[in-house]
Amino acid sequence: MSRGKLSKVLMISPDKCISCRTCEIICSFTKDKEFNPKNSAVSVLTYEEALISVPIMCMHCEDAACEKVCPVGAIKRVDNAVVVDHEKCIGCKMCISACPLGNITFNSKQKKIVKCDLCGGDPQCAKFCPSGAIEYKEATPNNLNRKRIIAEKFKELFEEVEK
Amino acid sequence: MFGWTGKILRVNLTEGTIKAEPLNMDDAKKYLGARGLGTKIFMDEVDPNVEPFSPDNKLIFMTGPLTGTFASSSGRYEVIAKAPLTGTIGASNSGGHFGPELKFAGYDGIIFEGKSEKPVYLYINDDKVELRCAEHLWGKTVYETTDILLKENGDDFRVSCIGPAGEKLVLFAGVLNDKHRAAGRSGLGAVMGSKNLKAVAVRGSNSIKVADPEQFKEACIDARAKLKAHPVTGAGLPTYGTEILVNILNQSGALPTRNWRDGGIFENAEDTSGEALTEKYLVRNKGCFGCNIGCGRVTRIPDGKFKSTGEGPEYEAGWAYGADCGVKDLDAICKASFICNEYGLDPITMGSTIACAMELYDKKIITKEDVGFELKFGDGEAIVELTRMAALREGFGDVLAMGSYRMAEKYGHPELSMSVKKQEMPAYDARGVQGIGLNYATSNRGGCHVRGYTISPEVLGVPQKLDQLVTDDKANWVKLFQDLTAVVDSAGLCLFVTFGIGLPEIAEMLRTATGFDMSDEEVLKCGERIWNLERMINIKAGFTKKDDTLPPRLLSEPLEKGPAKGKVSGVPVMLEEYYKVRGWSEDGVPTEEKLKELEIEL
Amino acid sequence: MKVKFFAFFRNYAKCKETDVPLYNDLRELLDFLCQKYGKEFEGKVYTKNREISDEVIILINGRHIAHLEGINTKLKEGDEVCIFPVAAGG
Repeated sequence: MSRGKLSKVLMISPDKCISCRTCEIICSFTKDKEFNPKNSAVSVLTYEEALISVPIMCMHCEDAACEKVCPVGAIKRVDNAVVVDHEKCIGCKMCISACPLGNITFNSKQKKIVKCDLCGGDPQCAKFCPSGAIEYKEATPNNLNRKRIIAEKFKELFEEVEK
Repeated sequence: MFGWTGKILRVNLTEGTIKAEPLNMDDAKKYLGARGLGTKIFMDEVDPNVEPFSPDNKLIFMTGPLTGTFASSSGRYEVIAKAPLTGTIGASNSGGHFGPELKFAGYDGIIFEGKSEKPVYLYINDDKVELRCAEHLWGKTVYETTDILLKENGDDFRVSCIGPAGEKLVLFAGVLNDKHRAAGRSGLGAVMGSKNLKAVAVRGSNSIKVADPEQFKEACIDARAKLKAHPVTGAGLPTYGTEILVNILNQSGALPTRNWRDGGIFENAEDTSGEALTEKYLVRNKGCFGCNIGCGRVTRIPDGKFKSTGEGPEYEAGWAYGADCGVKDLDAICKASFICNEYGLDPITMGSTIACAMELYDKKIITKEDVGFELKFGDGEAIVELTRMAALREGFGDVLAMGSYRMAEKYGHPELSMSVKKQEMPAYDARGVQGIGLNYATSNRGGCHVRGYTISPEVLGVPQKLDQLVTDDKANWVKLFQDLTAVVDSAGLCLFVTFGIGLPEIAEMLRTATGFDMSDEEVLKCGERIWNLERMINIKAGFTKKDDTLPPRLLSEPLEKGPAKGKVSGVPVMLEEYYKVRGWSEDGVPTEEKLKELEIEL
Repeated sequence: MKVKFFAFFRNYAKCKETDVPLYNDLRELLDFLCQKYGKEFEGKVYTKNREISDEVIILINGRHIAHLEGINTKLKEGDEVCIFPVAAGG
């Protein structure tokens, strides 16, 4: 891969998150032209005891469990994003169960899978995050490594919460 | 329906009935939402002379047309009722996430009427709305109540509630949401307590629609960019929070010290400053819903007997417990401020009332016998203990629970209460900052800074640099700030946006959200209409020109040091001009023509 | 005379206050401070046109310089100059 084509990834810095949920509101608006955090592909989880908030969304895993589990091939990698093809999707929700991070949800009103698609390369959550907690950055080895570490932490946190 | 959801809940606590009613769109266009619309509903439905704790008083929660949207800092809702502390119209707003959630549930607001026989809370999960038993919550703190309700109903609920202070009808109890955000002033928490209503827990999954999504998004992006670029909203507030003002006001000679007795310079201001708070206590910043500013502080008292975690203190709370009580112990100031959130109190009135008691003690008007212990200016332990005692009405706390005016009056010295219309003034000495004094004197909810924050031009130089020591032209500025603030509050925005954006940006967001074709001037007219409606409610409740004044100390005891040395407040001069600018009679009553011009029907 | 620093100006000055020699007017004093504390300090105090930046509040003996003679305000022995970033609260 040539240097110029280096793809970008969403980087999260929980230490910077001020839990304002601007990401949720703009995500839902970008998808539906309406404001509704429940339809957002990003959620801000607040861990009150730890005094921390974490914006959490699809990590677009290299080895994506959702893609593998989808029975109709509706989930595919397009450039650096793992994207749902809503035409093909049959709404079986297997991907929701398969995602180890819990980052796919179902909009029961619209009967539609809700998952981050990186807004076609201009993720609005990163664009409007006021504190720099969500950034869209070049996928350098350094950044990728940090992203992996954070994803692992989320996974642990998430499993804690599920217990 | 755009901007608004178009539905209001009416909850009769006496009958236990709940119904959803359509929003009156003519009123919505004229009064916008939140503070304006809530006040309009109050005027239509409640006698302005109602006893605040009577079942006939109504408690109204209202959001604005921008609440819960992409508009920056749109996390706000307003609580409205006849206020027990002042007897004026009471309206107090709060940020956090509760207001937006109410809209996501599908409601612009809730009207509570009557009084429940037993403690209840209102459960709202979209269309499922129920009054539920709250006997297990009665006596619990704000934190405990919130935790229990989230545990019972799900952690995606948002809770607005009262603490023990509201239950015990402390006259300055607040309504708290998301644990740390307060509709703090005027005692609306006590009205909630008088109705045996402990909390509202809400969860919503509906969408808020706007009239012109693309244009609205553009308007919001424009406003956000301006807020980000402005040194106050883009750097000052996010970095240091509101407590940064301590040193500025102190150096300007306008930080009221020891119940406003010792002038505007506190010798220990540095110990209680935003710089000290940031250095020793700040854990992280916090933003309310959709906020591009993020001035909130999560703070931790790291060690010692007050070791704990909370949010704040904001500038006003930090001053009320700090300079006003002569206290330099920031641990104690933080702790007292945390207790206000926990027990549901307004820290400005609480701190100021303790400061007043300290002066009464200093003058030997009250003694150790009255208080139960010594009460000297500067006593950090006392501010913590007395706050708790007031919230629970224990011992001398029962006296403090009346607020400073009634307390000082009880001991024969009402002039020692630093209040307007019985509500304590905040942290800017009106002798050292002239315009804000006029705002205190004319504020429709009594002593208050956030009805017309002229500190911005007078001290901070935003958007223009006005000389804080002169009275010239301040009447015009006060009117403009009061009217614009009424717009901001009623739109569902946080007042802090006005440091970075003004009427054109706010009006554009309102137009594109609601689809109503209103010029900037017409939007500002809504603000003036709201102000005049509030004034009429107060006039009907018996308030007159003589109530538009400041405590005698500010009118007759000149400041003794600092840049404002020798100054008293020029309110008597400015007031005449203010009435003229407002188009009111010499007695401060809106004229028939003014009411007609503003299309106010009484 | 004395200069007091607040908020992030303390990071540049590495102190809360300092005694300085008497200068004729505020401009001379600020030029001296800019030289002493460097580009970052200068960038906050001055605009590109060497006017006082809107991002700073400067008080001389508690009075905002906008209500004195601005950058040309004369200084005298014993004056106290306070430098704040523009901030707000409420």
